[in-house]
Amino acid sequence: MIPACLGLVPFGVVCGVGAAGAGASWWSALGLSAIVFSGAAQILAVQLLAAGAPVAVIVLTCFVAGLRFLMYSAAMAPLLRPLPARAQQALAFLLTDQAFAAAVRRFERGGDPHAAARHYFGGGFALWMFWQAANLAGYFAGSMIPASWSLDFAVPLCFIALVAPQFRSRNAIVAAAVAGVAVLALAWLPMRLNLIAAGTFGIVAGTVADFASTRRTAR
Amino acid sequence: MIVIVGALNYASRLSFIAFFARRHIPASLARAFRYVPAAMLTALVVPMVAAVPHAAPEAGLSAQALVALAPRVAGAVVALAVAWRTHGTLPTLVAGMGTLWLVQAIVAGAP
Repeated sequence: MIPACLGLVPFGVVCGVGAAGAGASWWSALGLSAIVFSGAAQILAVQLLAAGAPVAVIVLTCFVAGLRFLMYSAAMAPLLRPLPARAQQALAFLLTDQAFAAAVRRFERGGDPHAAARHYFGGGFALWMFWQAANLAGYFAGSMIPASWSLDFAVPLCFIALVAPQFRSRNAIVAAAVAGVAVLALAWLPMRLNLIAAGTFGIVAGTVADFASTRRTAR
Repeated sequence: MIVIVGALNYASRLSFIAFFARRHIPASLARAFRYVPAAMLTALVVPMVAAVPHAAPEAGLSAQALVALAPRVAGAVVALAVAWRTHGTLPTLVAGMGTLWLVQAIVAGAP
């Protein structure tokens, strides 16, 4: 858990800097990091806010950014089944990429699901605290850093760090390649719809490749 | 508005746990889910890397745009390689920012 917490810090700082750069007040930046608790959504939200986008667009785009949580949710469902509903709901809030990875490892090790849940709670809460601190630090330190340092580039770097482990299978690479090309090709779409569209194309491409490869091996 | 986004995010996270808590996920859907992170995260990252002031799609790739774009692409590629190897955020950040600054310096010094 400690490495995961530390890994979140640079990302959190970057999000805080981004919020300051977009002109948000410190308490709305903190609100974003505390309640939304998702770097992708936070970054997009402050950028779109600064550009004056309508609320509906911001909400929809953040929803799209958070779609991967649907997948984590689906994967966690069988693991969390033995737990009481309230625990499931609380754990759902704390679900992040790191928490997901750690939780899956812990649950798969077997044994008492309640102990695993406590482990997840502790880790998830620690992550949440670190995230708030990092965001605040980034927000207040942001004004001291000159723009020529190109620190905005740290944001996509954090996401690259998140996505790289996904490229274990060729199908995942196909999915990503299709999504990457599509998002650029569709950049002319309004309201950043290219994000949703490209993501969907990527998912479909990966799934098709997946089915195609199993059919090949079955022959 | 923050609350709405937060609520939606939370709903996404909870939705499937709640929905599938008592049910079985169809196998084909589960297979599609495996590609959500790779596709979605890539769709997010690529525009961020390509986000360069003078690069309007209609204008094509001007020399200015290339100068601004090259360091970012280089940084992204190196970062991807490092991330793939180390799975660590900090090494990725260091490698990516380092490459960015290096290529920026090279491009600036060679007109």
